[in-house]
Amino acid sequence: MVHLGQYIPRVSIIHGLDPRVKLAATVVLSIMILKGDTLTQCWITAFLLILVPLSRLNLCHIRAAFRPMLFFLGLLFFVHLLFTTGTPIPPFPPWPVTITHEGLTTGAFVIWQFSLLILSASILTMSTSPGELICGIERFLRPLNRMGVPSHDLAMMISMAMRFVPTILDELNRIREAQTARGACFKNGPILRRMKATASLLIPLIQSIMRRADALAMAMESRGYSRGPRTYLRELRMGRKDYLALLIFAGAMGLGLGGGYVLSNGFG
Amino acid sequence: MIRVENLSYTYDGDEIPALKGINIQIPRGIHLGLIGPNGCGKTTFVRHLNGLLPTTTGDVRVEGLSAKNPSDLYRIRQLVGMVFQNPDNQIVGMTVEEDVAFGPGNLALPSKEIARRVREALAQVGLESFGNKAPHALSNGEKQLVCIAGVLAMKPRYIILDEPTAYLDPSGRKMVLDVVQKLHAKGITIIHITHHMDEIVGADRIEVMDRGRIILSEKPGVVFSKVALLKDVGLDVPEVTELMWRLQKMGNTVPTDVLTLEEACRELNACLAHTKGE
Repeated sequence: MVHLGQYIPRVSIIHGLDPRVKLAATVVLSIMILKGDTLTQCWITAFLLILVPLSRLNLCHIRAAFRPMLFFLGLLFFVHLLFTTGTPIPPFPPWPVTITHEGLTTGAFVIWQFSLLILSASILTMSTSPGELICGIERFLRPLNRMGVPSHDLAMMISMAMRFVPTILDELNRIREAQTARGACFKNGPILRRMKATASLLIPLIQSIMRRADALAMAMESRGYSRGPRTYLRELRMGRKDYLALLIFAGAMGLGLGGGYVLSNGFG
Repeated sequence: MIRVENLSYTYDGDEIPALKGINIQIPRGIHLGLIGPNGCGKTTFVRHLNGLLPTTTGDVRVEGLSAKNPSDLYRIRQLVGMVFQNPDNQIVGMTVEEDVAFGPGNLALPSKEIARRVREALAQVGLESFGNKAPHALSNGEKQLVCIAGVLAMKPRYIILDEPTAYLDPSGRKMVLDVVQKLHAKGITIIHITHHMDEIVGADRIEVMDRGRIILSEKPGVVFSKVALLKDVGLDVPEVTELMWRLQKMGNTVPTDVLTLEEACRELNACLAHTKGE
């Protein structure tokens, strides 16, 4: 079972790229998607559809990335469809809230935009391991060290939060079972009672997390964690292929923007 | 050599000190067992050995370095590694190799050296092929081995094991104890806190603590033959030792410094032969 944006370990050109290249490209793509017009949008769609097979991802992965967002996309579409003012489509009356031509086109355009955003973010997270991703983010944040933003600590915090998600879910299940065995009921009954039952999960969970945090801090200190400089098992290094990928990306985006400009304004 | 002189410690807000004048010398290469009832100060004591707790009264010196000296603390933490009870609360990396790399990363070693140490440390605990696995996919025994590897990657001379098997099932316990044996054979000093007496019958020396003091410091045979004293402070003795002790109390002439099943069989046979002979 593939979850939203979960890392899919593969050997591919995209997987092998420096995470910083992929992060930067995703940011640029997102800005272009949100600012862009129909032509840029077409261009980016084509670009992303080429990236999917290049990352050795298949339709299943993409579907998994979209499935949890479908409701949101549908809602977005209907809101735009109903609340955009303009000329109503024939059978619908000219009320303030009605289906208009403009609503239909904006709605379609907006879900197209959001689909592209989801797709580009999914290609990033599916082709980049969380460790690499954090390393990349940390590297981008390093210039902020001088302003007092501790990039190492931030990276450590993100990676530990991710490391502890399964552990804490296990813990939650254990507590739920223990409380169920004591007669707590989480599935049915009046809403007030279920809320009370949920509190009986949260309090022990928070307590256990606190205890864990204490023990963890002790273990980290004992392994020499301090404010001093740190190094990593894998330091990021931009290779020839990374620069090449950046160049190709910049070229493709430049071409898209330039082509769009020429097409809409003519050569004059 | 770790040298502890007159170490006392009182936790903030407590009236009764947790440690009362501990004196001990731990030579290199020894396997030291540390036992005592709950709350006797074992954990408090060992947390002074790598500076996790500040030395307030008395002195702790590791290879001549003082934990009181902030600039030595870094080096002490590298020399004295600590493995805690719950492996889940020690693993910080998202993969096994990232976790083992945490310690050397804190020492700011170059990436190549970190990679070499990670490989070596994982090989020493027998988890060579586990590098890319996520910690939560491992058994508790394997997780504890990852923790030991994480300590080994610092190249320590001393490893403190604070009830390392408390959260493990029997097979996990065996995995961890086998690795501990191997590390001791390689010359690493082991300081081993436990409630399972049979884990330390092979130790070179056992310290018995009670109410913040070391009350006994002897070889395992001598320690476990003092069954009455151990029972008095609320400790158990290995099962075979208990058996011999009960037999002796019933009037049989058997020794009570017996620690292993083989020894017990031999002694009981001798005793039976002796009774038949009479």
